Amino acid sequence: MIQSLQASLVYEDHGKEIRACDAIDLEIRPGEFVGILGPSGSGKSSLLYLLSGLKNPTFGAVLFEGRDLGQMADDERSRLRMEAFGFVFQQPYLLGYLSALENVMLADPSRNLRQRALELLDLLGLSEKTGRLPHELSGGERQRVCVARALASRPRVIFADEPTAALDHANGVQVVQLLDAHRGDGALVMVTHDPTMLEGSDRIVHLAEGTIHGEETRQM
Amino acid sequence: MFGSPLNPLVYLVRNAAKSVPMVGVIALAVMLIAWIVALMNSIPDSVKAVYSYSQYSLGVTPRGDPAMTPKLVETFRNECPVPIERIIVCRGSSAVVRSIVGEWPFVVLAFNQDDMDYFLDKHFVTGIEGRKPTVGRPEALISEPVARNLRLKIGDVLLGPDKSDDYSPQEVRIVGIAKTSEWMMLTDLEYHKANHFPPIDVFLVLAKDRATQAELDDWALERFKGDRAKLFAYRELEESTNEMFATLYQILNVVIVTLVAVIALMIGMLMNIYQSQRLVEFGLLQCIGYARKVLLKRSLKEALWVTVAGWASGVLIAHAMLRIAYAVLMEPRAWALNTMDPKAFAYTLVVPVAIFAVGSFTVLNRFRKFDPVSIVERRLV
Ligand SMILES: Nc1ncnc2c1ncn2[C@@H]1O[C@H](COP(=O)(O)OP(=O)(O)O)[C@@H](O)[C@H]1O
Ligand SMILES: [Mg+2]
Repeated sequence: MIQSLQASLVYEDHGKEIRACDAIDLEIRPGEFVGILGPSGSGKSSLLYLLSGLKNPTFGAVLFEGRDLGQMADDERSRLRMEAFGFVFQQPYLLGYLSALENVMLADPSRNLRQRALELLDLLGLSEKTGRLPHELSGGERQRVCVARALASRPRVIFADEPTAALDHANGVQVVQLLDAHRGDGALVMVTHDPTMLEGSDRIVHLAEGTIHGEETRQM
Repeated sequence: MFGSPLNPLVYLVRNAAKSVPMVGVIALAVMLIAWIVALMNSIPDSVKAVYSYSQYSLGVTPRGDPAMTPKLVETFRNECPVPIERIIVCRGSSAVVRSIVGEWPFVVLAFNQDDMDYFLDKHFVTGIEGRKPTVGRPEALISEPVARNLRLKIGDVLLGPDKSDDYSPQEVRIVGIAKTSEWMMLTDLEYHKANHFPPIDVFLVLAKDRATQAELDDWALERFKGDRAKLFAYRELEESTNEMFATLYQILNVVIVTLVAVIALMIGMLMNIYQSQRLVEFGLLQCIGYARKVLLKRSLKEALWVTVAGWASGVLIAHAMLRIAYAVLMEPRAWALNTMDPKAFAYTLVVPVAIFAVGSFTVLNRFRKFDPVSIVERRLV
């Protein structure tokens, strides 16, 4: 479904080139849970931005169902992110003046997601808190709202960049389990430096210094 | 309540601590401008109201030689192409009325009884409180706006020996107040002839209505150019008033442009600050699939709402306050003030236009060089 073909991402840092991703070949298949594991600075986030079209590869290409993300206009790529992708970031970014429910409904304003959002918040244990503003929620609860937002439009792929980093272990495990449990038939691509978060994954890709250093497929 | 959570009103209403002050600053600017322009316009408007009676007559005084008067009257009768309704030969003395910018000269006309009746009728007098001056007596009839302006009532002294601007050798007391919106001070011709100096007959030439009067005035101004007559025509009054205020309006334009520039800049800076505080919001929304265009449109809509709300409330407050000012300050003195002055409100339109322009520029500039990933990455904030 997503194919990265020799994709490289090179940053320019004070005239010095930093190869955050170096000629990466990787395929994400429908419905699978792929973990991308590696130490800090190994290029995990960079790879996630490439796969999700948030950044264009400096060399190589990333295809979504055969279409080159790098060739799409901002409008088209945005629509794809809204309709087919879901995102959970390291920090639980929410709009401070919107309630938990409204934040979840942001996932796609062209559809009426109210019912779906309420269901998800309920499944994530937030049924009592749908009307609260983000500053009235705990860190774990906020990240669960973000999970609900990522799941709301039933995306084909969910990208999660260290979604547990800002949480304690118990909350972190819970967030990953919830993501996994409610993603339906959407694929989940999760970046982390913590292998214990990848218990439920189908496949783990090891990343170091911008290149893939091996892959393990796990038994289901 | 507003449908989508990204409706621009949701942000503005829930962040009232930010949006209300912006609306307030715009409203104040609009109010200030509406006020300045309306108050300034009230001066020429007052001039026109005070001397409005001269729209219905042409005043003529001889120059150099009092014996000119009968000849001038003859010339009018023989040569004027516009039908003359009446020529009133009368006397006049000077008085003053008050304005917001000090005292203005006014004329006290002395008529015989018949001409006075005609003159009152001609100036839409619907009734008289009290009575008309008696022949030969030191008595005056004033109109209602004059009474209000000078705070005079029946029995008060209009002209007197100890008044240098409103002089008469005897105390001329008010015996009647005429109900009309025109300004006038009238006394008896016999009294005037017996008491006032110099003994010069002047006259008024009146046409059928305002339009023919204007024709008559135009003809006379041309015909008596350089002649030994001084003419008092409404057109000349209007022209010199407009000319006088043209310069003032130029100064006003500079003041308003400066004011608008200052306010637009200030609001632009405020918007810039508020936009920076929302970078996380814009970055996040772009990452989860909101196109730059969509977010830009939303920001512009917010700016539009703020400016329109500011302008509308400014106009409403200005109008309300002008009404109060009119009722408390102007109306009791019979001064003109248009609380719905279209020119005043037209001037205020530059405020929202300039602010929206500056605001849009700020927003566009922000969005042009903006990398959403740097936000979720926390490399920038
Ligand atoms: N915007 C950037 N400018 C310059 N260097 C960057 C930028 N983003 C990431 N890098 C560098 O690229 C490398 C990979 O970063 P990143 O993908 O964030 O790794 P990870 O997510 O695994 O910690 C790091 O060396 C980092 O310093
Ligand atoms: Mg990272």
